[in-house]
Amino acid sequence: MSLLEIDDIHTYYGESHILEGVSLEVEDGEVVALIGRNGVGKTTTLRSVLQLTAPRSGSITYRGEELVGKRTHEVADLGVGWIPEERRVFSQLSVTENIRVAVPKGGDVDAALELAFDTFPALAERSEANAGALSGGQQQMLAIARGLVGENDLLLIDEPSEGLAPQIVSDVAEAVQNAAREATVLLVEQNLPLAMDLADRFYLLDNGQVVEDGEATSGVTDDERIRRYLSA
Amino acid sequence: MSAIVPTLLAELATLPLVSYIDTLGQFLRPSTLVGVFVRGLSKSAIYVMIASGLTLVFGLMGVLNFAHGSLTMIGAYLGGLVMVLAVTGASGTVSRFAFFLVAVLVVFGALSALGGVIEVGLIRPLYDRPPIYQILLTFGVTLVLDELVRIVTLFYGLQPISEWQAALGTKPEPLTATIRLGSTTVSGLALFEILFGVVTVAAVWAFLTRTRYGLVVRAGSEDSEMTEALGIDVRRVFTTVFALGTGIAGIAGALLMWDPVWGASVPLAAETLLPAFVVVIVGGLGTFRGTVVAALIVGMIDAVTTWWFVNAVEFTGLPEMFIFLILVVTLIVRPQGLFGVAEVGGH
Repeated sequence: MSLLEIDDIHTYYGESHILEGVSLEVEDGEVVALIGRNGVGKTTTLRSVLQLTAPRSGSITYRGEELVGKRTHEVADLGVGWIPEERRVFSQLSVTENIRVAVPKGGDVDAALELAFDTFPALAERSEANAGALSGGQQQMLAIARGLVGENDLLLIDEPSEGLAPQIVSDVAEAVQNAAREATVLLVEQNLPLAMDLADRFYLLDNGQVVEDGEATSGVTDDERIRRYLSA
Repeated sequence: MSAIVPTLLAELATLPLVSYIDTLGQFLRPSTLVGVFVRGLSKSAIYVMIASGLTLVFGLMGVLNFAHGSLTMIGAYLGGLVMVLAVTGASGTVSRFAFFLVAVLVVFGALSALGGVIEVGLIRPLYDRPPIYQILLTFGVTLVLDELVRIVTLFYGLQPISEWQAALGTKPEPLTATIRLGSTTVSGLALFEILFGVVTVAAVWAFLTRTRYGLVVRAGSEDSEMTEALGIDVRRVFTTVFALGTGIAGIAGALLMWDPVWGASVPLAAETLLPAFVVVIVGGLGTFRGTVVAALIVGMIDAVTTWWFVNAVEFTGLPEMFIFLILVVTLIVRPQGLFGVAEVGGH
């Protein structure tokens, strides 16, 4: 049994049919990349897992438990963390408060803060600053730290390098690798070399369907067929 | 045209400018300033109490609760009922204050429960609809509640008098007296209102900044979807905050039952809703800090203009116009309010 199994899900925004039968599996301990052009349904796949945009049909199981029909906080309680695109840190809360709010009820807040600040020392230096005052890279680290302290076994990470300066991207890649040591990762990433560098396997989405999958190797970035999908 | 100009000039010449300068001198006397300042603070205290619940609910849920004033009005009647039943002619000052605390607890409990029922039963099914549905619903709720209270009060003969005199009569003696502050005197009730407002603000502030639930509320106010994805049942938080907001509205009403300017009366619903809207819009929709600052500004301007229009112009309706003038200027100059963000999102 895979940690996460998505089976033939169909997800809509209003009347727009976004996911047209996506199926994929993520094994415990893996980093799986979901790649594809803008608008092919990568983010919608993550939102479907979290039931933020619930599929109209199909099945999503996590450790064998059906997620479709659950509420988002119930999915999160099972150990599924979300690190969304554009970070979505709580800008009016301090760094410490952003981490505290992500600790499950009854969890050890001090241990969570220690984990977050040990993993990302740059955050420790700005622990009392409002998250809105952090740089883009620091906000991304905070978003990942929030996922880490949530005691999650599966992290859904959406476009972690989006909008960041090239010199910051390597820091964020390191942060994702840190996260991958703590949890299984389903990673949405448009930066193909970065995705292949971080992932064990990949799925290529196009028009709401999985069109390719395989081992994540540097050779994938040179694959003409895949490059065509990404540039079409 | 040629006839109008000399007439205007003649009228301007007759304006009592000297009288206004005299009035300015009178206004600037320390005793007057202290008196106006205390009255401003007491108005601010009332405004912050009636607006706190409204801003908490809007900040978290994006719901502009038009029934808020009606809940304040019900709080005034319910608080008054507890006081009228408990207070006898033999009740002393201490016992009257003690009864008032009991009334506050009863009102808070009852109004919170009512708020919880309204949120779960009426508003929750409409969260996925455009905001106009919630506005229309809460407007409908206010009409129903006002009529219900009108029917009950008419049945028991509590209306049509504008204030419920029996409730007013339960005030402890220090609140009916005036207290000397230096060279001026202020009403005991004004000082009590200030104290009560400060306690309310401190309690809400402590809740928001010192408790995990408050942290969740602040996070949910900024981005409820992200908060839910962190494993927090945001719907339950919605219910709690709506109940808390209506409870605070009720407490404000319990305080207003003793104020002869307000009193327990059906029109109290509209009379408190409008300034509450002004305060939350001026402060920035959904920001508690903004609500506190806006309440101070609006209260002070209200007190100053009231003094001027009573002592210089003798047109008592104008101070209320000034409150709405503040609203108009804010909407033109800074539509998001003093502490609001340009766009409220996350809902």
